[in-house]
Parts: sequence; C-alpha cells; structure tokens
Amino acid sequence: MVEIFKKSTPGSAILVIAFLLLLVFLLIPQSASAAAPQQQVDFPKGVSAVNPGSDLWREVRQRDLPMQGISQVRGVESGVLINVQGDRWARFRINNPVKYAPMALLAVILILVLFYALRGKVGIEGGLSGRMVKRFTDYERVVHWVLAIVFLFLALTGLVLLLGRTLLIPLFGHHLFSLLASASKEGHNLFGPIFLVSLVMMVISFARRNIYEKGDLTWLLKGGGFIGKGHVSGGFFNMGEKSWYWLVILAGFAISISGLILVSPNFGQGRVIMEISHIVHVIGAILLIAISIGHMYMGSIGTEGSSEAMKSGYVDINWVEAHHDRWAKQIKENSEIVSAEEFARLQGRAPDSADTAAEQSQ
Amino acid sequence: MSERLEKGLQVLRAEMDKKVMSYFSSCVRCGICAESCLFYTETNDPRYTPIYKTEPMRKLWKNEYSFWGKLKSALGISKPMTEADLADWEELVYDGCSMCGRCSMVCPVGVDITMVIFKVKHALAVAGFSPEGLVGATQRAVDIGSPMGITMKAVLATIKHTEANTGLKVPLDVEGADYLALLSSNEIALYPEYLESLVKIFDHAGVSWTLSSDAYEATNSGLQIGNKAIAGQLVQRVVDGAEKLKVKNVISPECGHAYTALRWEGPNFIGKAYPFRVVHILELLDELQAQGKLKTTGMETDRLTFHDPCSIVRRGGILAQPRNLLTPIAENFVEMTDHGSMNWCCGGGGGVSSNERAEGLKHTVFNRKKSQIEEIKVDAVVTACSNCRMVMEEGVEYNEMDMPMLGLTEMIAEHLAEKTH
Amino acid sequence: MIEYLIDGPLWYFSLAVFCIGVLLQLARILFGAGKTDLSVARGSASGGAWRNVFSRFIPHHEIAPKIRLQVVAGYMFHLGLFAVLFFAAPHVIFLEEHLLGFGWTSMPHWAFIVASQFAFFGLLILWLRRMLNSVSRLISTLDDHVAAILTFVVMLTGCLALLKGFTELRLLHRFTVELFLIYFPFSCLMHTFTFIPSRAFTGAWFGRRGIDA
Repeated sequence: MVEIFKKSTPGSAILVIAFLLLLVFLLIPQSASAAAPQQQVDFPKGVSAVNPGSDLWREVRQRDLPMQGISQVRGVESGVLINVQGDRWARFRINNPVKYAPMALLAVILILVLFYALRGKVGIEGGLSGRMVKRFTDYERVVHWVLAIVFLFLALTGLVLLLGRTLLIPLFGHHLFSLLASASKEGHNLFGPIFLVSLVMMVISFARRNIYEKGDLTWLLKGGGFIGKGHVSGGFFNMGEKSWYWLVILAGFAISISGLILVSPNFGQGRVIMEISHIVHVIGAILLIAISIGHMYMGSIGTEGSSEAMKSGYVDINWVEAHHDRWAKQIKENSEIVSAEEFARLQGRAPDSADTAAEQSQ
Repeated sequence: MSERLEKGLQVLRAEMDKKVMSYFSSCVRCGICAESCLFYTETNDPRYTPIYKTEPMRKLWKNEYSFWGKLKSALGISKPMTEADLADWEELVYDGCSMCGRCSMVCPVGVDITMVIFKVKHALAVAGFSPEGLVGATQRAVDIGSPMGITMKAVLATIKHTEANTGLKVPLDVEGADYLALLSSNEIALYPEYLESLVKIFDHAGVSWTLSSDAYEATNSGLQIGNKAIAGQLVQRVVDGAEKLKVKNVISPECGHAYTALRWEGPNFIGKAYPFRVVHILELLDELQAQGKLKTTGMETDRLTFHDPCSIVRRGGILAQPRNLLTPIAENFVEMTDHGSMNWCCGGGGGVSSNERAEGLKHTVFNRKKSQIEEIKVDAVVTACSNCRMVMEEGVEYNEMDMPMLGLTEMIAEHLAEKTH
Repeated sequence: MIEYLIDGPLWYFSLAVFCIGVLLQLARILFGAGKTDLSVARGSASGGAWRNVFSRFIPHHEIAPKIRLQVVAGYMFHLGLFAVLFFAAPHVIFLEEHLLGFGWTSMPHWAFIVASQFAFFGLLILWLRRMLNSVSRLISTLDDHVAAILTFVVMLTGCLALLKGFTELRLLHRFTVELFLIYFPFSCLMHTFTFIPSRAFTGAWFGRRGIDA
C-alpha cells in the first residue's frame, strides 16, 4: 500500500527538477549580463564622460561576470568584496522554501485527512487471522526506528530554523525564539551525522529487497490497489514501498552530504557552495518531511495490520496475502507461519482468549 | 496472606545477603543472559530468560529493601506479593532451568544468576511449590536412602555381581581406609559397570578404599528440589558414615550435582567444615595418573568428544582432569565448538530429569546438544556424569540417532595396563 | 529566582543526595549479611575476584556473535558518555570551578562533538532495542526506561546549550543533571558502581573452584 502522492512523484525526478531550477537561476544573470555590453547608457546631453567609479563598482557588484580580486588577506573568498550570489540566495530562500514549506506540509496533512474521511482505513479481506509471519528482525526494526527518531528530531529543529522569522518570532517573541533557535541549531548540527550513519545502516539492511523487479510496474499501473477495489500483486516490498525507500536513500544522502558541507565550513568551500548546499538541503528536507507524514499515516492508522511489522516484527498472514502475495507464496512453501498461541509465547505472554478466538474464526 | 506464601517469603528474606543486594542493584535487564541459556535459545520463549526466573526474589527486594519499595509501603500504596508470584514461577524454575550456570558466566555486570535462582528454588520448595516427581524423589531419599528407592539390599546385589564379573573383592565398611567411595542411584541402577571400573582401577593402582552401608548414596535430592535443610540432612549421612569409618577422603562419583552438594555446598548446609577431603573420581584418577600409579595402555580409535557436565566442570572446577585422562587413551579426540567451562547443558540437570512434567521441554532443549554433536561428526560421546549420560541416551533415542554415550571412568578401566604395585 | 535555586540550593541538595545515597547503597552491599564459605577452596578467591572485574569487559567468544548489537552500542554509549562527562571542556571547567579545584586537559571541540554523537547513537540504539526485543521487553522495569530517558534528556539539554550564550538553556541542562543525581542512588543507575562488587563476588565464587569466569 502506498501514499497517493508518493507514487506520482518519484524521488529522483524531483531532485533532477530541483537541480534544473537551480541551474536556470544561475544562468539568468549570465544571459542578462551577456547582453549588457551591447546596452548603451543614456547620459544627459551636454556631458560625455564616463564616471570611472561606475566601472569599478560594476565589477565589484559582479554585473558582467563573477569577479574575484586580490587581497593581502589569504582566504577562500577574501578577493570577493560583495557577494551578489548571496543576495539572490537569501531572496530565493525567503520567497520559496520559507513560504511554500508550511503550505506543502499543511497540504499533505489536509490530503490525508480527506483521504481518511473518504476512503477510511484500508482493511484486509477477512480481517486479521491471528496467524503470524516474521517480517523484520530485531536489528532491522532498530535501524528503522533510529533513523525515524533522528529524522523527526532533525525535521523539527530544521523547521524551527527555517520558519523562525516568518512564523515563530511572531508567535514566541524574540527572546524565546532565540533560545529555541540556538538549541535547534546545536541539536540539528550534532544529530545530522548520526542521521547519515543510520542511513548507511538502512542501505545495508534493506537495499537488496528494494531492488525493482518484474511485477512492480504492474503494481504502479494498477494504482497500487489504492483507488477502487482489486487485488494488486506485490513482492516482499511492493513498488510503492520501494519508491519511498529509494527516495529516502537518495534525498537522505543529498541532505546528509549537503548538511556535512554546511556544518563544517572550514574545508575551503566558499559561500556559493554553501548556498547551493543549503538549497539542496532544504528542498530535500521538505520533500522527505512531506512524504514521511504520509508514510507515518500509512504505517499507523492508514492500513490495517501494518503497524505490527515495525513493533513485534511479525505480520498477520492475511495482511501478507492482501499486500504481498508473491512473498506469501514463499512463506507457505517454507512453512514459516506461526499460530496465535505460538506468537503469544514468543512475545513472552500466555496466549489470551483474543488470540485464540481470532484463529478459531478463520 | 496464605501460609505457603509466608513460608516462601520468610526463606527469601533469610536468603537476602549482600551478594543478592549487589546483584539486584547491578542488573540492568540487558537480556544477554538469555542468549546463553539453553532453555531460551531452543524455545525462543522470553520467560526462560535466566534473570526472569529470579523475579520472586527481585519483587521482594524491590518491595522490602529498595528505596521506592519502602517509600510505597510508608505511603500505603505498595503492591504486596501474592501466592501467584511464587506458584507461577514453579515451571520456570524447575522445568525451565537445569542450574547449568552458563548465565552466571556471561552476565556483563557479574550477577551469579544461578545462585539467585537456587535461592528462589529454596523458597518454592519450602512453600510447597515443587514438581511431584522431585517431591517423591526427595521423600524416598529421606526415608529409604535413595531417590530411586535403592536400598542396601540392591547395593549388596550390585556388589555381588561386581565381584563375580571382576574376580576382585569389593571392600565394605572397612575402617581406616583412605577413600570412601560413594555411588549414585543412577549408577547402581543403570551403569553398574562404574563400580566394576572402580574395583579394577583401585586394584591396579593399589588404592585403599571402601564402600559404606551407612552412606552409599551420593545423590542429593534436597539440592535438586532446593530444600537446604533436607540437603544438609543427606550430606550429614555421608559425613557420619565417613567419620564412622575414619576415612581420610570421600570420593564423589560420576554424578554432577552430587559433587556440588558434597564438595562445595555441603559444609555450608551442615554449618561446619569436614574432617576429610572430598575428591571427585576424576580428580582422584588424575592425581593417580600424575603420581604414576595409574597407567593406561592402548587407544580408542573412534572419533570421540567430551560432554562437560555442568556441575562438575563449570560449577565444580574439574576442567583439566577429563582431558588429562581422556587424551592418553583417545587418539582421535576432538572438542565440541563450545567446550570446557562454556559447554552446553544436556538439559537434564538440576532435577529436570526427575521431573516428568518437564519431559517435553527436555526433549526440545536437547536439540542444542544434538547439533553440537552433529557439527563435529563424532562416533561417540564420552562424559563423566551418570545423569548426563542417561539424559543424552534418552535424547539420542528420541531423535533416532546412533550415538553411543560412554563413561570416562569405564573407558579408563578398559585401558588399564599392568598393575603398578 | 530560578537561576538562584538551580545554581544554589538545588545543586547542593542533589549533590548531597547523590553522594550520601551512593555511599549508603555501597555500604549495604559491602558490609551486609554474608556467610563465610566453609568448603575448602581449590583456587584463589581474591585472584578470581580481581580477574573477573576486568575480564567481564570482554564477552565470551561463544556468545559474542549473538550479542553484538548490545556490546557495540553499549560501548559506544558508555565510552562516549565517559569521554564527554570528564573530558569535554565545559565540564572540565565546571568540575575545576565548582567541585575539585583542579582540572586537566580537555578534548578538542571536534572530539567532544564526536564523543557525544557516539553517546547519543549508542543510547538510542540500546533503548530502542529494549523496546523492540521480546526478552528485554518482558524483563524491563519502569526504572530501566526512566533511567534511559533521563540520561538521554541530560545529554540532549547539554547539546542544546552548546552555544553557551543562553542562560536558560544552561540552567535547563543543570536542572536535568540535578534530577539525574537525585534519581541515581535509587535506581538501576547504581550499576555504575555496583558492577564492581558484583563481578568481584562472582569472580571469587568461581575462583575458589579454579574456574576463570
């Protein structure tokens, strides 16, 4: 099962679009300044002398092309007097991510509320049987939850840093916000590398099972069984889950690498690289936050039987049949199903009547 | 509060010493002990986690000895212990624990979990929450002198057969002998070759020894059920018999818990040190071999391994002796992957083999020993505990394996060279 | 007012509770009831005790593959926290000014950050494993969860106050530290000290039998 918005926006496509947008932004001044030498300046009649200062400042302001001077001070950008790029970046930031991020996140929440109201919880035909199959080991669940918790912390602190001026200062006032922002910055910077390590662990644990295979396209074309009725075939992970996975990995690495560049500015990167990193970082982050809200919805209240997978690691066999029939076939061949009583025993409790009743009703 | 519960709690309070206080303060519930426990690894049932088996005592410690417990009592909001707190743990402690001691080896903060489980067993035994099989065995041990009901008459019959088979005399009630040999009921009933082996070896090495009609039983059902008073009573019989015959040493036979009961816990059960030395038969044989009094000849050619009985090796300290004795007579000896003080239990120790209710579980946990044996592809397994031997033979039969279980003392006796004196 | 309380009376109170509490708990263990073992020892009890205190830092190889996550995350957390607690510059300065009167060389800032990342990561993994593994879920008590969360909160408030420019954030960290010190002697956090007598007791028991535990 997959979120409706997720399957229409493959992660890699978004990143490509983002990079293209950025490229366009960077090329506009080039094309504009290329035309500049052709332009004639209209001086008031009677005086035909060029102000030597304007040439200097034109170069300093980098109107024609990026300009670096030479200074006595040796440094990465000590030859740049005014960073035009920076102004452009600051305006882009205020007009785009800062403005559209809250809208995007609110839109996602609204869509989900609407979806739940109209479609409701995606149930399982025949309900839960009580007979369970092991889906995720202890280690795999630990990896998922470490990544999730660190991500949520980074998302929260990151959004505080992004939305401070426009949203939070009006709300909390300057003093409280300064505390919040300082705390968020320190927390965000410290936990960032931890996110990267967790991401690497996620790649190692889950990459193999997320490789696209035959049948995945069919799943996509059938809308994931999401809209309307009808059974869609899926493997251990269906196409929607795989796409979410690869989005997390790709956007996650983009965020992590750009984050590392941003958190350690003492390796010779100049402002321009920092600005580009920031744009990549913020766009990737908003994308992941938005879609993760959908992921959290699907994994909890959105689908019957899904949340157990990341809690005990076991899932109901009926849930497997409904969403991952190709894996269900493998399970049956290897007789890996455990009864409700056995499942209760493995969890360290005496089987209660609910478990056995559910089984007896099958 | 019921009488049974009160009796049990009294025992737990008496058992609360500084070690237990330290242990409960140190345990951080990491769960590493579970990975070392046969009963957990073969069933994946979290309730068999070793430290979980000590819950009754931990609850008492929490309620009556910890800050929060005492605060809650003062405020009147504490949750008192109930009979179920003891009764529900009977199966875990008696069926699901063979007192093998592996957990005590691995705890990162150093808790001797086995010792604490034994204290819980003591409380359960006194409160009357023990398996039927063990209760019966203990009764027979106290009344008849043997948990299997073996009387002196049966012993005399075994002596007669031994003398007939070996052509040697079995000394009985000889005052002033150097060594008093004890037997276990299992050996008398199932492996009488053990007594024959003793006779031959002692004759070969010129050992002055005797049996005692007052003290022939080494097995200690009191220890198995966890009743320290009865355990002490049974140890006292041996002490009395040994003192009567004025022997210098008492030999503990090839029986795991008997060694624990007599050698290590006995003096503490009866409250005083012995006037004699206690030695395990393998210890004695190793000493004799080192002194040149025991000489062997010939080699077993089969591929052999040694199963380390928990109470003798890990909890008893007899680690080097089995290897010292086996390697000279086994040309194809190979160790199990996990061997020595970290070998796996056969599953029948601590009274489990006398507990009919635990039979199914015992068969399940034998899978570990089975895979250990199959991994090294041996022709036979040698051991030095009659209970292990019996449990493993039953396990082998249940799994339709062809795997002989051999006794070490017997094997030595089969390889005796010319007399050394 | 709050600043005065947190930097003053509450600090002294929490320090007193911690010191007296720890000493009392240790005294109960070291001077508590215990019977002499009347059996004849085969090996050295004290030798076994000393050896076991140190040998248990390395798990037995027979069991090591099965407990890799706990051991790796456990060491990451404990070593990271130890490094941060005693060698991070703000702490060295604090200990010198407020407690000991002397200090020592502290870690470079980048090492401080890396050590705390190890500590956070390790603790997070351990606490998640405690919740997700069926064994630890069964045997864990409220005390275990409170201790883990409290430790994490102390570390987190420390991280949030890194910039040092904000009194409120520093006070928040100090306050959580004071809560931690008060909770410490009455919780499983005592294992910080009691693991030593526990390992020693067990080491002595095995040592008498001639077994290296």
